[in-house]
Amino acid sequence: MQSKLTQKLKQGNYMSQYETGYGVSGSATAGLAATATATATATATATAGYEGSHGRTPVVSFENVSKQYGRLRAVDGLTLDLRAGETVALLGPNGAGKSTSLDMLLALRKPTSGRIRMFGDDPYHAVKSGRVGAMLQSGGLMPEVTVRELVELITKLHPNPEPVQTTLKRAGIAQFADQRVDRLSGGQTQRVRFALAICGKSELIVLDEPTAAMDVETRRLFWDSMKEEVAAGRTLLFATHYLEEADQAADRILVINRGRLLADGTPAEIKARAGARRLSFRLDKVDEPFLLGLPGLVNLEVRHDVVQIQSSDSDATLYAVIDAGYRPREIEVTSLGLEQAFLAITAEDDATNGNSAGETN
Amino acid sequence: MAGTLALTKAELSRLMHNRRYFIFTVAFPVILYLLIGRQVSAHAYGIAFGAYYMIAMATFGAFSGALNGNAQRISQEKKEGWIRQLRLTPLPASAYVITKILVSLATTVPAIVIVLLLGRFYGNVHLPAWQWPVIAVTVWFGSTIFAALAVAIGYRFAPEQVQPITLIIYFTFAILGGLWFPLTGFLGKVGQFTPTYEAVKIGADVIRGIAVPAGLAIGLVVWLGIFVALATVAVRSTAESV
Repeated sequence: MQSKLTQKLKQGNYMSQYETGYGVSGSATAGLAATATATATATATATAGYEGSHGRTPVVSFENVSKQYGRLRAVDGLTLDLRAGETVALLGPNGAGKSTSLDMLLALRKPTSGRIRMFGDDPYHAVKSGRVGAMLQSGGLMPEVTVRELVELITKLHPNPEPVQTTLKRAGIAQFADQRVDRLSGGQTQRVRFALAICGKSELIVLDEPTAAMDVETRRLFWDSMKEEVAAGRTLLFATHYLEEADQAADRILVINRGRLLADGTPAEIKARAGARRLSFRLDKVDEPFLLGLPGLVNLEVRHDVVQIQSSDSDATLYAVIDAGYRPREIEVTSLGLEQAFLAITAEDDATNGNSAGETN
Repeated sequence: MAGTLALTKAELSRLMHNRRYFIFTVAFPVILYLLIGRQVSAHAYGIAFGAYYMIAMATFGAFSGALNGNAQRISQEKKEGWIRQLRLTPLPASAYVITKILVSLATTVPAIVIVLLLGRFYGNVHLPAWQWPVIAVTVWFGSTIFAALAVAIGYRFAPEQVQPITLIIYFTFAILGGLWFPLTGFLGKVGQFTPTYEAVKIGADVIRGIAVPAGLAIGLVVWLGIFVALATVAVRSTAESV
């Protein structure tokens, strides 16, 4: 517990917040040793019921993978495993290295160092075997053909595809299947891209910011159909900077910032790691050294007689205050979202490693 | 291979939806032939002017079809991420380029056939039956040289740069190669090294009934080699930005 009084993580609209450098400056958050673990813990059950799973071979594995663009290290020593049946969110701010990581996984770019395997094979051959379906932000569509013609084409390229009609229905594009691809709206285009990612009935689906151009309704439809894919036993990896989406859709979150994996766990674990609850109360005589020693404390802020504590175990923290003979007033315990957890984890990283690099790219 | 054919089929279906390419590949050579082709007493390359101009216009249509539309499309598809999307499918990496060459070969057929028919029935070109397919196939395969160049340009340059680049190349090779009118003097000598000249000269020598100099055929192969090499370098060096 080396922390001084730390600045409170600002609340508010998380979107604007971390796109402008997280709204957090120079705060050293105690107890946030968010060291990433390489493998998931709770995946054994998910793996068991999955048809076509390959024993203990991870669906995806990154071994100390780095990618250098000139002086910028976009991905820095990334190590991780994905197991069959998992739904994994790759969560990070813009420029964190999400897209580069997915590009390398999909054999569009080569790692500067390290090794990537997909189904135990190198990425290029794994992609060419049709075992992965992908939707990228930068992926374009063939113009001057109809939606149906395009889906038929990509379907034909896969060894074991879904019937075209099924794909059209699942992606919610059947009603405009005879329209020309270059005359669709942004949301419709995005759904066609999604159709191309699922038409091959691939075991792994990779999505880069899948809902970026979608309105709220389309987004909901999208995640509904995505859940069907997961229920059918597919492994899903998606990159996002919407925390809400990661929280709701994923059963595992990889927090990535400046090319490095900062945290790896269930949404609940990620929240706990950052101090999942905020405890606030009034106290007549504030004893800061005592407060800093409280169990579960992650972050402390004192203003006059108002104490605000971010805690990974708010019950223990509160009992310790009371057990020490204090009688705090106006006690409030509020839950911190994944948003604050994410901000805390990335802010910690930026404070330790300098603020600038995260904003490049 | 099945995937490559599926993509080729889809590409051809696209062309049916978009007939603008006909203007360059078919209309332009046809109009020029109608205006200039029927000069009864004139000669060029040792054969009747109508026969020379027929081969020249077939070559003109075929190479503009192979170069202009293709380079523009490839560049556009690279920019829009369609090439990237295809790389995420089981389609082999080379299939896209192979498809473009196959489609280019298909799109040059109408220009060649129509101009040759025009030569026969409007320009009064009478040839032994075997010479027609020889001339058609020479021009047809010659157009792959420009299909390869289109790949090199399309991968290397942005869509808005492609238009002026292909136009400069198109006019240079058309004029220096003697496609619009036979060249003499210094420009004529320089022009003898162009693939457009070589393709037309091979056809003319076939009609004259003389042995086709090996240099002409070698020249075409060398040009093809150069442009295939440029295309390969362009595809490889842009691999991470496609």
